[in-house]
Amino acid sequence: MKMDNSNQWHCTSQNEPRGFIQPQSLDELWFHSGTNCNLRCPFCLEGSKPGDNRIEFLTLEDARRFMDEALELGVKKFSFTGGEPFVNPEFIQILDYALELRPCLVLTNATEPLMNQIGDVLPLRDKPNTLNFRVSLDHPDPVKHDESRGRGNFRKALATLGRLHQEGFGVSIARLMLSGEDSASVDRAYTPYFESAGVPLDLTIIKFPDFHLPGSLPQVAEITETCMIRYLSAEQRDKFMCNFSKMIVTKNGQCGVYACTLVDDVENYDLGKTLHEAMEKRVLLGHHRCYSCFAGGASCSEG
Amino acid sequence: MNVLTVHDVIFRTDDLFELQLERRATQFEPGACVALFSNTTESRPYSIAAGSGEDVLRFLIRRVPNGIVSNWLAQRQPGDKVSASEPFGWFRPGRAVAGTRSVFIATGTGIAPFLSYLRSNPQRQPELCLYGVRLHEEALNLEELQQIENFRLALSQEEVNGHFHGRITGLLEQIPFADDIHYYLCGLDTMIDETSIWLENHGVAYTQIHREIFFYEDGQL
Repeated sequence: MKMDNSNQWHCTSQNEPRGFIQPQSLDELWFHSGTNCNLRCPFCLEGSKPGDNRIEFLTLEDARRFMDEALELGVKKFSFTGGEPFVNPEFIQILDYALELRPCLVLTNATEPLMNQIGDVLPLRDKPNTLNFRVSLDHPDPVKHDESRGRGNFRKALATLGRLHQEGFGVSIARLMLSGEDSASVDRAYTPYFESAGVPLDLTIIKFPDFHLPGSLPQVAEITETCMIRYLSAEQRDKFMCNFSKMIVTKNGQCGVYACTLVDDVENYDLGKTLHEAMEKRVLLGHHRCYSCFAGGASCSEG
Repeated sequence: MNVLTVHDVIFRTDDLFELQLERRATQFEPGACVALFSNTTESRPYSIAAGSGEDVLRFLIRRVPNGIVSNWLAQRQPGDKVSASEPFGWFRPGRAVAGTRSVFIATGTGIAPFLSYLRSNPQRQPELCLYGVRLHEEALNLEELQQIENFRLALSQEEVNGHFHGRITGLLEQIPFADDIHYYLCGLDTMIDETSIWLENHGVAYTQIHREIFFYEDGQL
């Protein structure tokens, strides 16, 4: 989706200066593995599905180049999302390189692509940095999870979560957050499943609101400079992902830097071809998903 | 995205057909699939059944009621155009560590990746190939598969001389065990789940079980 590149982009529809984040550091560098996925979830914020190439496969060559550059900027962690990262044919090699440098986090649906390659994943335990997996378990109800992800996929993901933990990898889960939910109660509903999988009962649960499909334009409040100062403290502003992270995205054969993990469907957030260049740029909070960060403190990061 | 010309559409039964597309420069490994598109933006992934040395890409497709993509593909004629993704996949029969052996287990059109492997590696036979279908006429490329030294066909809804009558899981006792054997399962999820559990209960490491689930395009099996 192409948004307005004129001066209007710097102002809201009411002609007020748009809120922004001036990035301060590069603590975490995300890589998009590609929108190709073995599943076809109707709510997927990336619109991923089998064979999809809106975002193309990350290559080992590009990954190495950006990891090396990120080291110069003091990066502390590499994280990977998709699509399903294990559909990417070079993903194990990419992880192998990354784990020589920094700890890594992989977001996965923990079904066949990972299950089939777990024999290649196990040796990664011996690398100098830790590898953590965040497994998608959308609801603490297998039937609801499988409605979107396909029959049997809750059970498979849970089993893989348990195996990863037993093999010594760090694990957490991601779930969908429903409006008006009692979050503590929903989190507690996972307990019997965690117990059966043999994972810690206090496992980290990352919650995501409905981010809507890529290219959609839901009506949300616009964020002005005044909003950023009036409603958020400096500490809250620092927690915006675009303050401390970037994401590498491959489109049309070109690998570039985007402002965060949630805005790759809008060209205004393509910040250039190098991390050094991208870090200089102010991130204007004009994407509807920016409002999720503003209103709820949504973050893909695990600190 | 590639736009490929239809080479042929060959019906094996009323519902099962082989779609052949020109290959052009498409590179793939046995087990790879391709997302094929209808004239809408709808697409479905189908495993390649062709060998890596063939001039055409072959797909074994079951036409399902109300299936947008399978019905559109079934109506193609030679010379028509079909949009296709690049090959991709996470199921690689026979690819595990060099020196390992393989057992193949398939139901229905799930035989496609194994046909691709056998056509690409005619000198590398699996230790055993089990194939399950409902009726004898649904057993695709049977003559070719019967060239495998240890091949067994299970027919769940028909009795035919020389073949096992019953579900494919009735043949699991014939599976050999060894530390260097990898087990490749492709087809219906129920078969794959039952077989995976059976293998693990018989001491097979989960790292040596490889799975590819085929769902029909309406999500039903």
